[in-house]
Amino acid sequence: MESITLIRIIKTSWTNFWRNILLSTAATLVMATTLTILTVTFLIYSLTNVTAHSIQQKVDVSAYMKSQVSETQILAVKDEISNIPNVEEVQYISAAQALQNFKQKHAQDQLIQESLSELDSNPLPATLDIKAKNLSDYPAIAQALSDPKYQQYIASVNFEDNRPVIEKLSKILRITREAGIALAIVFGLIAVLVIFNTIRLTIYNRKEEVEIMKLVGATNWYIRWPFIIESVFYGITASVITLLLMIPVFQYALPKVGGYLGISGSAQSILPFGIGLLFVWQLAIALILGIFSSLFAIRKYLKV
Amino acid sequence: MIRFENVTKIYGNKKALDRVNLEINHGEFISLVGQSGAGKSTLLKLIFGEEKLDGGRILIDDVDIATISEGDIPFLRRKIGVVFQDMRLLQRKTAFENVAFAMEVAGYMREKIEKDVPRILEIVGILDQMHSFPHEMSGGEKQRVAIARALAHKPILLLADEPTGNLDEINGYEILDLLQKINNLGTTVILATHARDLVNKIRKRVVTMEKGKIVLEQEKGRYQLVPDSI
Ligand SMILES: Nc1ncnc2c1ncn2[C@@H]1O[C@H](COP(=O)(O)OP(=O)(O)O)[C@@H](O)[C@H]1O
Ligand SMILES: [Mg+2]
Repeated sequence: MESITLIRIIKTSWTNFWRNILLSTAATLVMATTLTILTVTFLIYSLTNVTAHSIQQKVDVSAYMKSQVSETQILAVKDEISNIPNVEEVQYISAAQALQNFKQKHAQDQLIQESLSELDSNPLPATLDIKAKNLSDYPAIAQALSDPKYQQYIASVNFEDNRPVIEKLSKILRITREAGIALAIVFGLIAVLVIFNTIRLTIYNRKEEVEIMKLVGATNWYIRWPFIIESVFYGITASVITLLLMIPVFQYALPKVGGYLGISGSAQSILPFGIGLLFVWQLAIALILGIFSSLFAIRKYLKV
Repeated sequence: MIRFENVTKIYGNKKALDRVNLEINHGEFISLVGQSGAGKSTLLKLIFGEEKLDGGRILIDDVDIATISEGDIPFLRRKIGVVFQDMRLLQRKTAFENVAFAMEVAGYMREKIEKDVPRILEIVGILDQMHSFPHEMSGGEKQRVAIARALAHKPILLLADEPTGNLDEINGYEILDLLQKINNLGTTVILATHARDLVNKIRKRVVTMEKGKIVLEQEKGRYQLVPDSI
């Protein structure tokens, strides 16, 4: 009996889906639009985040050491700097290493290679590269480095130049994050309203049928299930449509935009959790929106 | 089978039923008569829970229907067949589908539905119209579909609200015959009507209502005009 009822309910839902094809299409499209907006918002947010992160990675404070300072002393200074609040990491680059890096970086440049080979001593200083936990921490760290106790070791600190850039970046990042969240909330609410009303319209269309069903002895769940399953059809279709719409975005748009921003625009780097999981999320959101809207919309007609 | 004890029903500030007492026995055929607005439909609606009462109580086989939970109302309704005053057929379904629908709702198996529905349609005399839609049928035929649907889950009680209301005399008598046939097969029938000629022909129990009250009860009665003061 149970499975008979289940099959019957699924069949009813499928019939209703096609019988009200216009409204079904409308509900599905509204849902797909919402999902697309949410996904695009999320992608833009993620893109800014990755970009900001990549720029942030390029930003650091370099402390150039005086040439007479010994390696042991430098390592002691490194330890001390590591203890400054909000310092993420301090990397020691010896003078030899710095020269090596420089040579490698300009391996193609004949002139530089020749000039370097003419030198008999290393012109580059040993360096401590300091990364902060947050962009906003750099000023404080630079401040801490100007403490007199470092003066005998550190020749110069190259932070002042980057400061406005860094500050601007941290602001952009914050604004993007807040705008993204606000946008997602607003569209989410619009979606709930539109979907709720669309489903209410499809239910209104079958108001009479629902009332008669109740009067001839249908249980509330017998009436609810087809509507829920219909919403599930909407949700699945909408998620698939959204995913299809996203293919050109992943294929062409993201790599292009990523190129401009100097980051990899591959799906993996923008969506660390993968496209599969993105689809699962879309589906979950669509199902929750649809099921709750339909349960809410049908409540009124079950009172007979 | 059914007992009304001081049943009162109020719509807004209008008393549709006023302290009604009535006892209906198994297998009876009762005609509930009275002018339009007397409270006949309301009385029937209370029995299968389309409306809730405001005073008194209704016992069905000694169960107070006020104690039946929301979730169990569907199971009460599956024991009662109702022919609605406005028929309430689904226009988008054929005669067969309109009847099958009531069985589906109650969870019957497909094979049983395929077997039973034609049989029921034959009882009510429209087997040949099985695949017609309501708009392709006459008033009398539609009324038969409505009766067939009410019989679909083999009710122990059939409530028929003005089933002859929109029919001509001949069709009216035929529907009446059908209801009597159903009653003879063992189903208790309550017929609400304001058609006097019809009731006078049956010669079974008649309950007369006026302005929400029962004003006369007769065994093997006639629908008679009741003097204003009793
Ligand atoms: N849903 C309703 N809302 C308000 N008043 C109603 C409603 N249903 C019936 N009534 C009123 O209750 C009284 C009894 O109605 P009803 O039971 O339909 O009478 P009958 O079936 O005998 O013609 C009438 O005065 C009618 O106007
Ligand atoms: Mg009536």
